[in-house]
Amino acid sequence: MRTILGLILGPLGLSVLMSGPAGAGPLDAPGASKALACSACHGLGGQSPSNTMPIIAGIAPWYFKKAIEDYAAGRRPSPEMEPYAKYVREAGIDDLAAYFASQSRQPTAVKVDAGAVERGRVASQQCVVCHVESGKGDPAKGIPDLRGQPPGYLANQMLLFKADQRSPGDPTLKALKELMKSVPDDQIADLAAYYSSLR
Amino acid sequence: MTRLTRREFLRTSAAGAGFGFLAAGCAPAIKGDFAPKAGRRVVVVGGGWGGATAAKYVRLADPSIEVVLLEPNKQFVSCPFSNLVLSGVRSIDGLTFGYGGLRNHGVRIYHESASAIEPDTGRVRVGDGYLQYDRLIVSPGVEFQWEQVDGLAAAQDRVLHAWKAGPQTVELARQLAAIPDGGVFVLTVPPVAYRCPPGPYERACQVAFYLKTHKPKSKLIVLDANQNVVSKAALFRAAWKDYPNLEYRASNKVVKVDPSVREVTTDLGDRVKYDVVNLIPPQRAGTIAAQADLVGADKRWCEVNHLTYESVKHKNVHVVGDSTIGLPVPKSGNIANAMGKICAVAVVHLLNGKEPPAMAPGNTCYSWVNDREAIAVVNAYKIEGGKVVQIEQKLTPGQSAQWAQNADGWARSIWQDILG
Repeated sequence: MRTILGLILGPLGLSVLMSGPAGAGPLDAPGASKALACSACHGLGGQSPSNTMPIIAGIAPWYFKKAIEDYAAGRRPSPEMEPYAKYVREAGIDDLAAYFASQSRQPTAVKVDAGAVERGRVASQQCVVCHVESGKGDPAKGIPDLRGQPPGYLANQMLLFKADQRSPGDPTLKALKELMKSVPDDQIADLAAYYSSLR
Repeated sequence: MTRLTRREFLRTSAAGAGFGFLAAGCAPAIKGDFAPKAGRRVVVVGGGWGGATAAKYVRLADPSIEVVLLEPNKQFVSCPFSNLVLSGVRSIDGLTFGYGGLRNHGVRIYHESASAIEPDTGRVRVGDGYLQYDRLIVSPGVEFQWEQVDGLAAAQDRVLHAWKAGPQTVELARQLAAIPDGGVFVLTVPPVAYRCPPGPYERACQVAFYLKTHKPKSKLIVLDANQNVVSKAALFRAAWKDYPNLEYRASNKVVKVDPSVREVTTDLGDRVKYDVVNLIPPQRAGTIAAQADLVGADKRWCEVNHLTYESVKHKNVHVVGDSTIGLPVPKSGNIANAMGKICAVAVVHLLNGKEPPAMAPGNTCYSWVNDREAIAVVNAYKIEGGKVVQIEQKLTPGQSAQWAQNADGWARSIWQDILG
């Protein structure tokens, strides 16, 4: 799409010369144009700038596809994501999964309180069995990577698990939901701060 | 891409504006071809949700294409969330951003109005001068049909619309705050199609919330030209149960306003007295679209190709945002942003001699029903037979603080997507 030859003069030409090799524009990647419907909420390339929308840049394709299929089928109830999941299926779920997986992931820019991070680190001992010490998760067991996500998003998901409003009735999540019921809400905020701070 | 905070937005904007001022001081006056075209050029008319997005994304898609944006305002004020300024839940400053982020993408910005478009010669006229383009993207927003309401044209300074966020928003908030306890606030809803279908009803919630909290003896009367609430009807009606101070009258089109006696008249002949009125006038595409013969037989809106947003009337001229018609999409900020991106990609493909990809927009639209809860409608689309077709529309099951948090996240993300 990007044509570097035959270009321009003046400061614009200079900016192009300084912008690096041709063919590496942010919209040149396969699947990039299909992902533009996502960037209003999830940011360009899936790098969400907000506290509530998850960062999907660098997301593991298996997790992206599971989330999309669960949203589209109504298993993971979300009035926002159910229609968009159907859009993704129409546009090509494999293309979009590959596109987001290929994007370099930056941790959230949302700041967290150091005290909350430390309290969350102590409380996280109940989570490491599945999410492992690093917070990286385990794709073989279907456990996602939590590191660097916005704290608001992480806290909200934990509250949804606790109230059995995320994937209600899913037998594979029964143990997680039982655990979350024992976690007080203020500790959920601490856990969210901790996992958000991990790199 | 770096993340810009609002403070940084304003700072870069100030720097950018300062540079623009200096450049303007040194540059020749706007006369003749005031910025001769060296390579391929896209000119964008209008720096709102559609135009600013399109300008940025043309540069992202192909930095060898020069982009010139014509936008008279030095700052971008978000219409979404501006109803919260009326209730005092948000400040106008929190919705105001500069255009520095676009400059960082290499967009050349002139804070000028386009006065005419000449599709035959590929020129946009600006005052006594002109700019040449290879492709033009017009995102003119809406213009008000003042003449549709008797007495309105002469009373524009007192009868506020506050339907383009900015000084009128702040002034209407002041008028609301000054209303006597026991006073009547009249809000009028124009006939479809108009910018932001749920906007008037979200505004009704915010005004009623403010009155209930601060002026408990006051009352809000909503005079709606339409037969029913146009968007999220069941959700708004449920929310209004918390507002016994809100009286909703459907099929009440306001045809006359007389500020000297503080009274509006409906097409039924009813006269309604007010202490404060917010009259949202009937709307059509922005004036430049009508002047450039981009509007259809209805003289109101612009019909476009669903894949490229190229005008069906003029080649190489594309139209995005609220001024378009014919797609099964609302006139929302999210749709304007989506159109801006799709149009930008299409324009870059066309300028490079390639077939544009078939891309569908999406719509996420939140409305705040009080100071902490929101509702939402979401639409997904696909392309079928060269046309935009809806896949699904989904509403929130009710109102909640969670949707309000998501609304806040959406706003932060999309402002960045447009301007960052």
